Amino acid sequence: MEFISVVIYLSIYLGLFATTFYIWSFVVDTKKKREFLTDAELPKVSVIIPCYNEGDAVTKTLESITASNYPKGKLEIIFVDDGSTDDSLKFARGFKSKIVRVFAKKVNGGSKAAAFNYGFTKATGEIILSMDADTMVDPESIQRMVRYFKNKKVMAVTPSMIMSKVKGILERIQHVEYLMGLFLRKAFASLNAIYITPGAFTAYRKSFMDKYGVYEEGNITEDLEMALRIQSKGYIIENCPEAPVYTIPMNTFKTLLIQRRRWYFGLIQNLLKYKFMISKKYGDLGMFVIPIAVISVFFSLVVTGYLFIKTAFDVRGELLFLRNVNFDLPSIYRFNSYIFERFLHRVLSNPVLIFLVIFMGVLFAYLYYAQKKVGRRWDLLINVPLFFIFFATLFAIWWMVSIFYAVFFKSIKWR
Amino acid sequence: MENRKIQSGRRYFWSFVIATVLFVLVIYSSYFFSYVELKRVSNLQEDVAYEIFEDKLDYTLFEKNVCGGEVFEEVSKDLNFQGRIIDDLEKKFGKNNEDVLFQKKFYTLVELEHLEFINILNDQCDLGMATILFFYSNEEKGIEQSEEVGRLLNTVYARNSDSLLIYSFDVNLDSNLISKLKLKYDISESPVIVVNEKIKIFNPQNLEEIEQTLEKSEDESDGSSIIYLN
Repeated sequence: MEFISVVIYLSIYLGLFATTFYIWSFVVDTKKKREFLTDAELPKVSVIIPCYNEGDAVTKTLESITASNYPKGKLEIIFVDDGSTDDSLKFARGFKSKIVRVFAKKVNGGSKAAAFNYGFTKATGEIILSMDADTMVDPESIQRMVRYFKNKKVMAVTPSMIMSKVKGILERIQHVEYLMGLFLRKAFASLNAIYITPGAFTAYRKSFMDKYGVYEEGNITEDLEMALRIQSKGYIIENCPEAPVYTIPMNTFKTLLIQRRRWYFGLIQNLLKYKFMISKKYGDLGMFVIPIAVISVFFSLVVTGYLFIKTAFDVRGELLFLRNVNFDLPSIYRFNSYIFERFLHRVLSNPVLIFLVIFMGVLFAYLYYAQKKVGRRWDLLINVPLFFIFFATLFAIWWMVSIFYAVFFKSIKWR
Repeated sequence: MENRKIQSGRRYFWSFVIATVLFVLVIYSSYFFSYVELKRVSNLQEDVAYEIFEDKLDYTLFEKNVCGGEVFEEVSKDLNFQGRIIDDLEKKFGKNNEDVLFQKKFYTLVELEHLEFINILNDQCDLGMATILFFYSNEEKGIEQSEEVGRLLNTVYARNSDSLLIYSFDVNLDSNLISKLKLKYDISESPVIVVNEKIKIFNPQNLEEIEQTLEKSEDESDGSSIIYLN
């Protein structure tokens, strides 16, 4: 058996094992009894919104957060403009609300962590919500998330991150990726193995940051570092799937690549920093979730790299062949009664294609769950095939670029 | 920090079992589908062989006029399809699978019967059907070249399906018939095509080369000698 076949079948087997395990964990979690804070127990929440050049998105963000259904007097919003060169500050100052406090302070010329940390010094709530300036929330999201802090060991709660509006191919692919994340995050929560808290919107217990420090300035993915820090101290990160939060997708290949380069570079950096967590001392997170994520990236790179090179050679071969038959396309690709029959035989006799169909079915189930939780419907019949066709290649490209930067550049800038 | 424990070793174990069962089941199913296909091709081959033998016997034994029927067209298409499915099955089960080898040998026999019948039709009915014998190899060394030529021939066939029939033979097949064919047409390398049993070309590269040879071979006088174009 060729090396590449071994890798493909190993990755399929691993995928089946991990998928079965996560689905099972997810089902177990739905039966898990949790205690929630009552209305009277809801603590004061400080929402910190660091901002750098977000333009008029600021107004929509502030409108959505101030429209939150959270007890009056228990919600404060701290807007920190970190030296924007556009009208962000003007929009924030123009927003009339008693609970919004706007600070203009160039703390680090665009680093989100430093701006957040500045806002933290002004916060008076027991719960700190980190929010991006281009993010919108459902009115019930804050309340639903904060209720999870009844358990004293819970130090962070993540929401359901989804796309606000979806148009092009890239946006549709990101959209499916985010929806898939809803299911996985819940499955990870059941194992107490969430290792990423979305910077766009996550609730933290302030006492944790008081004791163990705020966002690490200079860390390219400060939110990821915070999640690993919480896990490393033995606390819990919860997930609230009923709390939809809307973010704007990257709409060009370049901006998406820059975003993913930062995420994955940061993931490499932080996993190296917290590599001691890959140990049985950290339960399912250290023994299964992180190792599987790392192995999946490796497999994905090998398989996609192979397919990429093979496709390049196939395309070259096909072009040469077309030239040899004078581009007589109707004769080459003519329809005959055997095409369907042979196609069916090829699909059914190829295990990899059968597995692909199984994984597609699982993905549809994930997405059904996600739609149900956030109460919205999407064009899945278009988005899912697009995701299956392009995501693996994009994922491999993002990772290759990130690894390249990690090896040769050692550091990258936030923006 | 107190050490954490994995939440459920039992869950890991059963997930492992389920994944293993599913994995094996899918692999097994794919072989099962191929096996069903093999059986189906086998039945199809028998039908085709029966039709060819019947038509030939009608002519040779009962001296029936065979010129009117157009059975050979349908039979030719069936043969073509079976050849491709056998190729797929060979890739799936491997070159040494006995069932596949038997199908290939039988397929070769049916092809030759068909060729002989077409030759009769050409002679007796002035059918004007050209033939190409394609000698290919599926050994690692020559498989890529052979596949290229195979695709080229498919295109040639698509463009000339009213007047052309192509017969493929695996030169590595352990069969007396193949050995005799190789001897008859002096085949020592592959891929080689023999056009109208007269002109031999090693590893043809393009459409023109084959189509021009087809035209040329029709102009050649009948004879036992084979012209080798390289």
